[in-house]
Amino acid sequence: MEPFNFLILSSLLFSVGFLGIFINRKNLITILMSIELMLLSANINFIGFSDLLGDLSGQIFSLFILVVAAAEAAIGLAILTIFFKKSNSISVDSINRLKG
Amino acid sequence: MTIYFFYFFSFLILSSSILVIFSNNAVHSVLYLIFTFFNSAILFLLMNAEFLAMTIVIVYVGAIAVLFLFVVMMLNITESEIKEGFLKYFPFGLILIAIFISELFLVFNFQNFPIPENVKINVNEAMLTESSNTKLIGLFLYTDYFIIFQISGFILLLAMIGAIVLAQSDERKLKSTSSIDQKKVRKKDIIKLN
Repeated sequence: MEPFNFLILSSLLFSVGFLGIFINRKNLITILMSIELMLLSANINFIGFSDLLGDLSGQIFSLFILVVAAAEAAIGLAILTIFFKKSNSISVDSINRLKG
Repeated sequence: MTIYFFYFFSFLILSSSILVIFSNNAVHSVLYLIFTFFNSAILFLLMNAEFLAMTIVIVYVGAIAVLFLFVVMMLNITESEIKEGFLKYFPFGLILIAIFISELFLVFNFQNFPIPENVKINVNEAMLTESSNTKLIGLFLYTDYFIIFQISGFILLLAMIGAIVLAQSDERKLKSTSSIDQKKVRKKDIIKLN
């Protein structure tokens, strides 16, 4: 395999996730999905370098990223649910309760 | 041959991830996300990470994506207002991404990209004694990375407790006896002897 193909793939995937955070201002669920895409691109980077260098540490750290992604999705969706219950919308612009 | 598989599946990953962020219906978005995760699992198989590929399928597709789907269907969002403000933020995001990608590609095209000589766990050496990827990961996860493994278990426990506490509603709907009221009851209030 070409050495740095996965670097290009993961940077493009990270950018897609980044763009997803910007354009979906009205939909918090899609923002959470974009964060999942960014974590996936980090995973691809880790595993690609693990394959390139012949080092197993990349795969183990990718496992830890998976743990953090699962925890983040659970907490984020719980916060989203109670936010929807309180304000009846999932728009980012309506999150302004701490403004005073 | 492998390189063409890599190109094919990375094209599928990129196109379906673009569909994730651009689709109007949130359910379609989650389904494209599942497709992205499947393709990345195949990509991990191409990169000799068999255990991680299967874990991606189980954790992402089996747990996280189903969780997303459940929340999307529970919340009942109207589609019309979702794409408001798209034109306001899209050019700004595009500019930021152009800067980010050009910086990254400058780094990648740098001639002497630093590749470390000594690796921590050499797979080729370890493969001589142990045969499978899963066995190797288990061997090093429970010894060298034991502390981090324990901490990640605590992270999952915290996520579980946090999700339960957040999702609990304030008012109690269950009918139960209050223990304080039970303690306040005196014998002369309830038993009457005539």
